[in-house]
Amino acid sequence: MKRNPLILFFIAAIVAAMLFAGIRMARNNRANGFAKGQLIGQLAPDFELPALDGKNLKLSGLRGKAVLLNFWATYCGPCKIEMPWFVELQKEYGPQGFQIVGVAMDDASTEDIAKFAKEMGVNYPILLGKESVGESYGGVSVLPTTFFLDRDGKLIAREFGLQSRSVFVDHIKKAMSQGHAVQAQK
Amino acid sequence: MKMLLASAFLLFSAWAQDDLGPQGPAVKMAPAPVVTVVQGKPATVPLSFRVSSGYHINSNHPKSEFLIPTVLKVEATTDIVIGRTTYPEGQDMSFAFAPDEKLNVYTGDFKVDVLVRPLRSVQAGKYIVRGTLKYQACDNAACYPPKQLPVSFDVKIAKAPPAPTKNPAQSPHAH
Repeated sequence: MKRNPLILFFIAAIVAAMLFAGIRMARNNRANGFAKGQLIGQLAPDFELPALDGKNLKLSGLRGKAVLLNFWATYCGPCKIEMPWFVELQKEYGPQGFQIVGVAMDDASTEDIAKFAKEMGVNYPILLGKESVGESYGGVSVLPTTFFLDRDGKLIAREFGLQSRSVFVDHIKKAMSQGHAVQAQK
Repeated sequence: MKMLLASAFLLFSAWAQDDLGPQGPAVKMAPAPVVTVVQGKPATVPLSFRVSSGYHINSNHPKSEFLIPTVLKVEATTDIVIGRTTYPEGQDMSFAFAPDEKLNVYTGDFKVDVLVRPLRSVQAGKYIVRGTLKYQACDNAACYPPKQLPVSFDVKIAKAPPAPTKNPAQSPHAH
């Protein structure tokens, strides 16, 4: 039986295209899928990290409040733009059961991080991040990366990079409207 | 026929491989020229780097203490003394995330010079010098954790010309 070269070429092209698509999908899953496909809608991975004031903060201890979890670093210019907004948003929505938590993901000393936070007038807890915590959130390879948790501790949204203030406000309002407002445990 | 199939497969594989390339920002080093140095004499090795389009990295002298400078660290060797590293001046640029602030950065191509001086006693031949370029990149809306790019270059050491032989002054002949 004689094989038609064009058909064989076509089959080879389809196989290669499928391989390409598979590789792309695998990569997307690796980069985003954990957070997109599995993390959003799920309970936020719990962690306990030291804060700049020396006390430890456990994420699940904030249950009952909507939480904005912001991964940032002192070397990150875009993170610096968001911080004054966060200060305002904490003031505005804090009394309604909203809490911003910053997680510093850099190698700077605690003193430098504290100095930076002071310069920015930060009025919310800054935690000293660990790689393992970032990994539990699908890997924090872009800064800023911000997650929004509803009052039950469920992840409802995630944003990479600098966003407009209105994007944060929308997510915060949504986070505050979901879940049960209970007294946060100490 | 087989050639045709193999070509088709290679073509699409290359396409897929290209897509598997480094994600996000990257700094790449161009192959360094092999610099020939004479035993005991200094020479400059120019190293060329390229920052991916759309990204910037801090210069060696960023304008804020919180920014991470680009630094080349060359591993010490027993045969070659590593001297001064000369960085280019960065460009003062403003970015969308801070239009009123100027950052001193490298974008596109930049060159770093490394001074090397082989010891007089070192044997002639080719030596590999290794190091890392530490950098931290950002784009207009986000930053990326610091990275370390492995760097290596060859230094070819040539023998120093023999020292001129001293002719003893000839004593005048007494006639």
